[in-house]
Amino acid sequence: MNYAGEKRFTIWTSFSLVILAIFTIFIIYPLVLVLCKSVIDPQSGDFTMNYLTKFFTRKFYWSTLVNSFQVTICATLLAAALGLPMAYVMRSVKIKGSGLLDILIVISYLSPPFIGAYAWIQMLGRNGVVTNWINTIFGINFDGIYGFAGIVLVFTLQSFPLVYMYVSGALKNLDNSLNEAAESLGCSGFERITKIIVPLVMPTLLASSLLIFMRVFADFGTPMLIGEGFKTIPVLIYTQFMSEVGGDDGFAAALCVIVIMMTIMIFLAQRFFANRNTYAMTALKPMVAQKVTGVKNMLSHAFIYLVVGLAILPQVVVIYTSFLKSNGGQVFTEGFALQSYQATLFSKDNDVIWNTYMLGLVSISIIVVLGILISYLTVRKKSSLNSALDIITMFPYIIPGSVLGISFLFAFNNPPLLLSGTALILIISFAIRRMPYTIRSSTAIIGQISPSMEEAAISLGASEMKSFTKVTVPMMMPGVLAGAIMSWVTVISELSSSIILYTNSTQTLTVSIYTEVIRGNYGNASAYSTILTITSIVSLLLFFKLTGKRDISI
Amino acid sequence: MSVSIDIEEVVKKYGNDIIINGLSLRVEPGEFFTLLGPSGCGKTTLLRMIIGFNSIEGGIIKVDGRVINDIPTNNRNMGMVFQNYAIFPHMSVKDNVAFGLKMRKIPQSEIDKQVDEILKIVKIDHLKDRMPVKLSGGQQQRVALARAIVIHPEVLLMDEPLSNLDAKLRVEMRNAIKSIQRQINITTVYVTHDQEEALAISDRIAIMHNGVIQQIDSPKNIYQRPANTFVSTFIGLSNIIDAQIVKNEDCKTVISFKNGYRVDMKNISHEAESGQKVLVSVRPEEFLINTSGEGLKAIIKSSVFLGLTTHYFVQLEDGQDIQVIQDRDEQDIIPDNTPIILTVQPQKINVFNHENKTTLIRGGIK
Repeated sequence: MNYAGEKRFTIWTSFSLVILAIFTIFIIYPLVLVLCKSVIDPQSGDFTMNYLTKFFTRKFYWSTLVNSFQVTICATLLAAALGLPMAYVMRSVKIKGSGLLDILIVISYLSPPFIGAYAWIQMLGRNGVVTNWINTIFGINFDGIYGFAGIVLVFTLQSFPLVYMYVSGALKNLDNSLNEAAESLGCSGFERITKIIVPLVMPTLLASSLLIFMRVFADFGTPMLIGEGFKTIPVLIYTQFMSEVGGDDGFAAALCVIVIMMTIMIFLAQRFFANRNTYAMTALKPMVAQKVTGVKNMLSHAFIYLVVGLAILPQVVVIYTSFLKSNGGQVFTEGFALQSYQATLFSKDNDVIWNTYMLGLVSISIIVVLGILISYLTVRKKSSLNSALDIITMFPYIIPGSVLGISFLFAFNNPPLLLSGTALILIISFAIRRMPYTIRSSTAIIGQISPSMEEAAISLGASEMKSFTKVTVPMMMPGVLAGAIMSWVTVISELSSSIILYTNSTQTLTVSIYTEVIRGNYGNASAYSTILTITSIVSLLLFFKLTGKRDISI
Repeated sequence: MSVSIDIEEVVKKYGNDIIINGLSLRVEPGEFFTLLGPSGCGKTTLLRMIIGFNSIEGGIIKVDGRVINDIPTNNRNMGMVFQNYAIFPHMSVKDNVAFGLKMRKIPQSEIDKQVDEILKIVKIDHLKDRMPVKLSGGQQQRVALARAIVIHPEVLLMDEPLSNLDAKLRVEMRNAIKSIQRQINITTVYVTHDQEEALAISDRIAIMHNGVIQQIDSPKNIYQRPANTFVSTFIGLSNIIDAQIVKNEDCKTVISFKNGYRVDMKNISHEAESGQKVLVSVRPEEFLINTSGEGLKAIIKSSVFLGLTTHYFVQLEDGQDIQVIQDRDEQDIIPDNTPIILTVQPQKINVFNHENKTTLIRGGIK
């Protein structure tokens, strides 16, 4: 007994220590460095508040923070106001093609927001198709939706699917007997929704809204493309860092610190509300979508189709654009052609797709191995060391991509850890940033596996390690792979850290889309986006097949 | 004050499947009426037709003489206790109970008074401000009951309300439910698959099987005079033994078992004919064990001592396995493989028609 205890101590503890070391080097150390840089004068080495004061005293700087909060709050409220009724209608009314609609909603959520931004520019931008219609029909001079309105539009349509998916999941756990009880007590119709349904999903609604808040707050691509003069703080970070590399690192670091403070606050709020989500409902008889007739049926269908249509429209526009004939540059000529694909897929010295898949797959392998170990350690080998692991591994979740990218460049620009410019730095940043998805879904599945499985294996003569690899890991696989696919989809659509860390030889699909959009070559950008979308769809279908479920939790 | 429920020829269909086909029954005012049957027999379906969660495809349901088929659930004024209680998890005990009253736009002071009153009746007034998640199963059950009866419904409907409680609490709660029902004298329809619960709690029981009512009667009659072999084997244990009717010269009716053991019967219906094949149903505790004399020859295969009683697993000479239960003070435990003679008590046994399995006891069916 003593011997077995001793042995367990060494094997698992060494795993914990190694993982802890990895996370210390690749997340704690860069962030600490950012914090130091933001308050230390590089010349004298003294403590200084200059950078932070610079931000808060000049309107040009602090207004970006105000802007960020404005768009984030607006987009979050609108997304919640859209996602909640969507979820309720889809759960309670039989909608034709609801299976396909669900998939479309997930796809619209999984595609990177900045793709939505440039697709909307194509429709509602200065020279957009819809803009031109409006201007001809009404004889006005509408200048397109740039700035605040554009950003909010893109983020709202991009984010409501998350509310939808969360609330839909909560509604599924709501036993129909609660509805029936309300009805038997004389409460029905709209009153039942406001008195029973909404209060019950409120914690979920708040938790998902805060997730959106964090995501929108940290997003860089969308405001960069459609914001024009309307600068948000991630845009400021990027422009400051890019234009002043080697110059004012301290100020960029200070910006990072400010953003991290904000996201930590949002994250804590999110945790607070998520933990209060303890109505602990399990539905024996969930609500069943009923067939309704007449006006109610028409309105339900119209509402759902309209919203889903708007959400998926950017993808449709992108795919459509990718087949348009152009002069090889920015101008589309009449008709269709495959030349965008020729230019992107088959041009020589084009490694973009290969890069994306290679970097993605290597990152995913790391994520899967570490994810399994971390979730196992934190669930089964509870100790103070592993609690620390639990907290640290969720850290990357709250660090915006651009902040992580900058902190990586600060930390790994010199020997012995000279990583900047290599593929490794991208792989590490992907793995670190997207690991939480896999950890969470692995943790969930371990919770469902009885410890007696392992005990049985050990009683039959398997060693601890054997029982872990032969019994526990295979049983965990469905959950792990489901999480890994989510990690994968988010890795390949990652922009905000790769835009900072990439070099010409490690350019990925999203970076290419972004640079093509900046160059104004929408044809090529669309071809790249289409490839990305198809990859996401295939991954998603794989996910559905693997889990046998039609809903995802992120 | 209390109302009756009349169910007349109701039909329930799901698509083309007919679940209930022309079922009729009457629940008397203030009665505690139980629908009892194996799962899938249609008892919950019928209950949900009464409250209005299930549509009625044919026939009518009347409460207090009024047809309620087309009244929406929220206007039917019926209280329901759900199998999983359906306590609103976001409301305190008090708010849960007050919910129905608020829906009826009753003034707040009146609501407070009624809620306090009902919480005292169900004995959870000290838990008034608790959230549901902090309540035990029995307490949640009491909240559900209070919430259903505080609205002064005409009818109280309960769908297996005790099935999620442990055995001891179940007994406690069923006594509580019974006494509260008596206290407020409300017509109650109760669904369960637990026969002991049904026997303990009901004024009358309807036994259902495959959507058809097998028997409606008092618990005592259901147990002692089952209408057919389904009821006799569903309620308690019954040994079913083949036998034959024989009518003597002096017109006495006799049951003759295969081995020639004969029992004089005084309560066999006149329609029984001499030579007719019958099934005799004998409760295990109704057998008498003898060592000699006339009776069914058998051998004790094994026995289980249960304190109050002893169960014997016995094989008749034709190979049929039956069970016999003896009180503990009858005698010492009989060793295995002892040959015995079993006799039956004519006033206690039930005799069924071999063909249609219905009773041949006079006055057996109402």
